[in-house]
Order: sequence, then structure tokens, then C-alpha cells
Amino acid sequence: MLGAASKRQHTNPPARADALAEIVLLDHDGNEVRLGDFWQSREGPAALVWLRHYG
Amino acid sequence: MDRAREEFEAAGANGVLIGQLTPRHAAHFRRRQDIQLPVLADEKRESYKAAGAKIATMSELLGPKVVAKGTALAARTGLRQGRTLGHPAQLGGAMVITPDGTVAWSHMADNAGDNASPEEILAAVRDAARAVRGTG
Repeated sequence: MLGAASKRQHTNPPARADALAEIVLLDHDGNEVRLGDFWQSREGPAALVWLRHYG
Repeated sequence: MDRAREEFEAAGANGVLIGQLTPRHAAHFRRRQDIQLPVLADEKRESYKAAGAKIATMSELLGPKVVAKGTALAARTGLRQGRTLGHPAQLGGAMVITPDGTVAWSHMADNAGDNASPEEILAAVRDAARAVRGTG
């Protein structure tokens, strides 16, 4: 129901964002954005927030 | 987090929100919530998997503690959950990443009420920025 997991899962955040860096998503204007561009070759860190949903 | 955008920028951080579904949904959400941060659309939830986010069980979605926490948050912030779009059991999270690709801090939700506050994320950003500058 609701696509819920039948068994409890564990979160598993990585220690490094190498795999995340290569992911390309579309932004709110439909432009391609590579995630790594938010932190690589920058002077400061990036804060990424994954929403449960847009509602 | 968008309300604290200036504080994040002052700390030298780039912020981005990532949601499920399409860019059209992302644009609508951004407009409706009057968000200035970029909002990305991850229809396939590829980045959710790479970030280690999980799918909740029913009790992690609708258990009494989760509902109580959500109610308290709504009362405190005035934010209300609207219609659920996307995978209803997909949980979110937050991550702070330094320029060299190190995940300096993360909080991936363990249930629907387990979300890092903007204050927690900002504190992590400030710590990471200090470490990057070598002043931490």
C-alpha cells in the first residue's frame, strides 16, 4: 500500500559524492544540470536537500 | 531552507532542492512556494538511491510518532502538506558536500517525520565551510 516497503530499510549515505556528481537532472526550467557542478570547482560546500515530494 | 537562503549564501554554500517527478512539477512547486533556490527533477529517483535515501514502511509513514511530529511542525511553521506527488513512500534527506567531493554531513530521513531542520543544515554548512577554508 502506497508503495511502502514491506521490511524496514536502512539509509545508506555515501562517504564521498563521486557517484552523485555524475548524475544529470533537469531543473525547473528544463535545463540539464550536473549535480557535481554545485560543489566541484567551487570555493564553498553545497547543500543538497532531497524532498519527500513536491506537495 | 529557502527562507534561510541568505544565511546559506553568507556561509559560502550553494543550495539545491531535488524532488521527484518532472521539471514542470518542480517549476510549479517553486512558484507556489515562492522558492528562489534551484529545484531539480529526479523522475527516476536516481539521485535518491545514490544518496542512500530509503523507502519507508507504512509505520514509518503513518505511525503515531510520525504523525505527532508532523502535526507539531505544521503548527510551528505554518507549513501544510499538500497532495502527494511521486512515490509516496520515498523519503528524503540532506547532505553537505565539500568541493573535493567529501560528504561532510548527511541526514537521510528514517521516517516521514525525521527531517533535518534548516538550522541543522546551516550549522553543517558552516562547519564544512570552515574546514574548507582551513579555519575549522
